[in-house]
Amino acid sequence: MNDRIIFHIDINHCYAQIEEMLHPELRNVPMAVGGHEEKRQGIILAKNDLAKAAGVLTGESLREAREKDPDLLIIPPHYEDYMYYTGKVKEIYREYSDQVESFGLDEAWIDYTASRNLFGDPEEVCSRIMERVNEEIGLKVSAGISWNKVFAKLGSDQKKQGSPFSITRENYKQTVWPLPVESLLYVGTATSIKLRSRAIRTIGELAGYSEYHLRNAMGMAGTMIHAFANGEDTSPVSDVLRVTKPKSIGNSITMIHDVYSLEELKPVCYVLCEAVASRMREQGLEGSTVYVSMRSTSLDWTGWERKMEQKTDVSEEIFNAAMSLASQYNFSLPLRAFGVSVSQMHPSKGARQLSLFWDSRRYERARRTDLAMDEIRSRYGFYAVRRACTLLDRPMTEINVKEDHTVHPVGYFQGRKMIV
Amino acid sequence: MSELYKRYVDVIVRMQKDRKLVPLKLVWDNGTEYEIDKILSIDKRASEVGGGGIRYAVMICGRRRNLFYERDRWFIESVQP
Repeated sequence: MNDRIIFHIDINHCYAQIEEMLHPELRNVPMAVGGHEEKRQGIILAKNDLAKAAGVLTGESLREAREKDPDLLIIPPHYEDYMYYTGKVKEIYREYSDQVESFGLDEAWIDYTASRNLFGDPEEVCSRIMERVNEEIGLKVSAGISWNKVFAKLGSDQKKQGSPFSITRENYKQTVWPLPVESLLYVGTATSIKLRSRAIRTIGELAGYSEYHLRNAMGMAGTMIHAFANGEDTSPVSDVLRVTKPKSIGNSITMIHDVYSLEELKPVCYVLCEAVASRMREQGLEGSTVYVSMRSTSLDWTGWERKMEQKTDVSEEIFNAAMSLASQYNFSLPLRAFGVSVSQMHPSKGARQLSLFWDSRRYERARRTDLAMDEIRSRYGFYAVRRACTLLDRPMTEINVKEDHTVHPVGYFQGRKMIV
Repeated sequence: MSELYKRYVDVIVRMQKDRKLVPLKLVWDNGTEYEIDKILSIDKRASEVGGGGIRYAVMICGRRRNLFYERDRWFIESVQP
C-alpha cells in the first residue's frame, strides 16, 4: 500500500508575527496581541519571542500578562490583516496541491500524495514552500510531514527551524511515542486527566494501551485517540472547492459591563440573534435548536438549549427562544459573557407548515423585517438601522457582531464522521 | 548598507491591457517627480522595512531602489526617513 504524503504547516505565533512583519520595530520589544481591554475582551491572543521569554502565556488575561512584564506592549488585533496575509500564504500552498485544508487561520494540511509526480521529493518541496513563505510574505513557518494528518501536525509542533520534521513509519516510535500524551490532537485537559489516572503519560503508552478499555472508559473518543497514537488516522484532507455546511451558527460576546438582570440582557440578546439569523439566511439555512451560553463573573459557563416547534431563520423567533432560556439564569452572580447559537441545520425552504396554534402573519412580518434590515445594512452600513431597544444601552450594543466576531477555530472533522 | 525607511509614495502607473502595472514616475511628498528609468526585476517579496507585496527593483536617477506594490498602495525602501 502506498502511504499518503501529508504536510502540516503552521505560521508560528501567527498574529504576533504578522504584526512584526508589518512593523519590524516590534521585534525589539516584548509584544503581544490582545483583545480590547476597554471592551473587556482582554486576553493574550499571541506573543512574540521576547514576551514569551518574560513568561507571558497565550490565553491569559492582559492584567496577568502585565504583572509578569510591566513593559509589555499590547496591541489590539487587526483581523483584516491576518486574514489577508494568511490567505496569501495559503495561495502559495495551493500552487502545490488542490487539497489544502485550513485549520484556523494559521494552520493547514496539504495532501501532497498526487503532486509528487509533478514536483518531486516531499522534503525538498516542503522546505521550498517554507522558504517561499518567508521570502515572499515575510513569515516564518514550521512544518511536519507524515502519512497521516495527526502525525503531520505533531511534526510541525516540533518547531524545527528551516526544514520540515518528518515522521515516518520507521521513526515514529522513536519520535512520536516519547512525547507527552497532551501533545496529541484532541487530548485536552479533561482527556489528559482521564489518561493520566490510568498511568498513560506518553503517546507511546496510549498506543500500547488496550483499545477495549479506552473505549469503555471514554467511548468513541477513546477509540479515536488510540488510533491517532498508532498513526491510524485516515481522515482525508479536504479539497479547496469542498465547502462544508456548518453544524451550527452562533455568536457570543463578552459584554463591556456586567449585566445584573434579564431586562439589561435583552438588547444584547437582540444584537446577537440578529447576527446569527442574518448569517443563517446568508447561507440559506434554517435551524431548529436554540442554545444559549452564559458566563458569570466567576467565569463558569452554563448553557441551556431548546428545540423549536418549527425550523427558523428569523431573529425574532430565535430571540424569543433565547430569552426564555436565559430566564433560567438567576443572576445570583452578574453575567459577563453571553452567546446564542442555532443548530440542527437544514437548507431553508422559504416556506413553512401552517399551524392552528401560532400566528403565521407574525412570522411573515418578522421575516420581512429581517430581510429589509439585511438590505439596508448591506447598502448603508450596519448602524443604519437598529432596534429601538438597543438604544437604551448604546455602548453595550454598539458592536457589529457579524463582521467583527466571526473568526472561529474550526473543528478537526468539519462534520465528517471518523472512520476507524 | 545604510538604514532603510518605509515611505509610502504617490506613483504614476501605466495599467496595461495585459493587466501588468508599470510604474512610471514616483512623486515625493514635496511634489518632486522622479522618473523611473528602468525596471530591473519584478517578483513577490517581503520587505525588510516591513510589509511587502510585488517588488519592482528599479533604477531612479542612476540608483537602484526597491519599490513595492503592497495590497493597494506603493512604498519605497527609502534612504531618507
